[in-house]
Amino acid sequence: MRRSKFHVAAAVSVIALAAGFSPARAGDIVQEWANVKAPAALPLKPVTADAKTTALLLLDFVNPNCTNRPRCLAQMPAMKKLLAEARAAKLLIVYSTAGKTTAKDILPDVAPMSGDPVVHSSVDKFQGTDLAKILQDKGIKSVIVTGTAAHGAVLYTGSAAALRGMAVIVPVDGMSSEDLYYEQATAWLLAKGTGGIGPKVTLTRSDMIKF
Amino acid sequence: MKRILLGLALATFTMSTLPAKAGDIVDEWASVKAPPPPALKPVTVDPKTTALLVLDMIKPICNAERYPRCLGTVAVVKKLIGEARAKGMMVVYTSVPNVPVTTVLEELAAKPGEPFFQSGTDKFLKTDLEKMLRDKGVTTVISTGVAAQGAVISTASEASLRGFKVIVPIDTISGNFAYPEQYTVWHLANGPVISPNITVTKSDLMKF
Repeated sequence: MRRSKFHVAAAVSVIALAAGFSPARAGDIVQEWANVKAPAALPLKPVTADAKTTALLLLDFVNPNCTNRPRCLAQMPAMKKLLAEARAAKLLIVYSTAGKTTAKDILPDVAPMSGDPVVHSSVDKFQGTDLAKILQDKGIKSVIVTGTAAHGAVLYTGSAAALRGMAVIVPVDGMSSEDLYYEQATAWLLAKGTGGIGPKVTLTRSDMIKF
Repeated sequence: MKRILLGLALATFTMSTLPAKAGDIVDEWASVKAPPPPALKPVTVDPKTTALLVLDMIKPICNAERYPRCLGTVAVVKKLIGEARAKGMMVVYTSVPNVPVTTVLEELAAKPGEPFFQSGTDKFLKTDLEKMLRDKGVTTVISTGVAAQGAVISTASEASLRGFKVIVPIDTISGNFAYPEQYTVWHLANGPVISPNITVTKSDLMKF
């Protein structure tokens, strides 16, 4: 039985190869699930951000979204430092909240100052907010996207910013999920994104960003 | 003085033994494991309030070089289009900017009068797709097409965020290789905010 299965599989792959479209699908993705391999790790690149045309987005660093994710709390020191550097360079800083949270729920390490815009939306922070206008009015061409969840606010808002023509800088030590698989996929989906997203995205780390 | 020196030495020691950063995903890349696959659920489609989206099944994308896995979805998508048309369901086509509807694979070609939209990965962005669906009383969309990690994840998510129910038959969507397709399936079934409106299924679990 095992042998005949093997022969069938071998025959199928020979046919697939001969047809010139290996790796085609062998059944559906749920059948293939256990054999799926992640692509190679992505390189992180140093970034020099132009303070006049770059904004730092801090998405949903709130209680409970961040406090419920140990990986988010572990990133607070790096985010506090990045925020201080961005403020020193006079970047536009934009916050978001989600669900029932408001600006008061943003964690103290990265708390907003009066005058910092705060938008409220679900995962795509452009949707139903004036985020696009806030950025446009300040002449913003690049956004540094940080926040939680990686596979929520960061993935959707980062993609949406790229689709709107902005350069998107994503420090991997500033995005968090409850599971590594989601974080990994977010990094990959942003960096390799289709529809023009990937070429707009730079994966980096907070200590590789200079202003 | 001695105490200060000892303190400094301890601090230096601690700093050098702790990881330089609190584990970012690139450091941990090799240890990542996929969660179990989602359960595929049977679905009964109401043709009056459902539209079939055929996303970017165009020759420049759905081909052996760029998306070899797409070729294995064509027969299934063709069958769904046939069933949808037989029930009088709306079939909606998309492409990317500047690529016309005539580039849709011949076996899936749009009929005159079937709606067609061009946009990047999110087909709601800068198009009348939402208005057209609402005007026709559509409350559910079936998302099929390519790329899974592009047009499908983006348009299905946006549909959910805009309040539509979304059906995703996994045998009708494709990535350029298995990993992005797997993540898309996982994400649509479990992703934050969007997943409650989304049903992940397979074409043979769908009844019209």
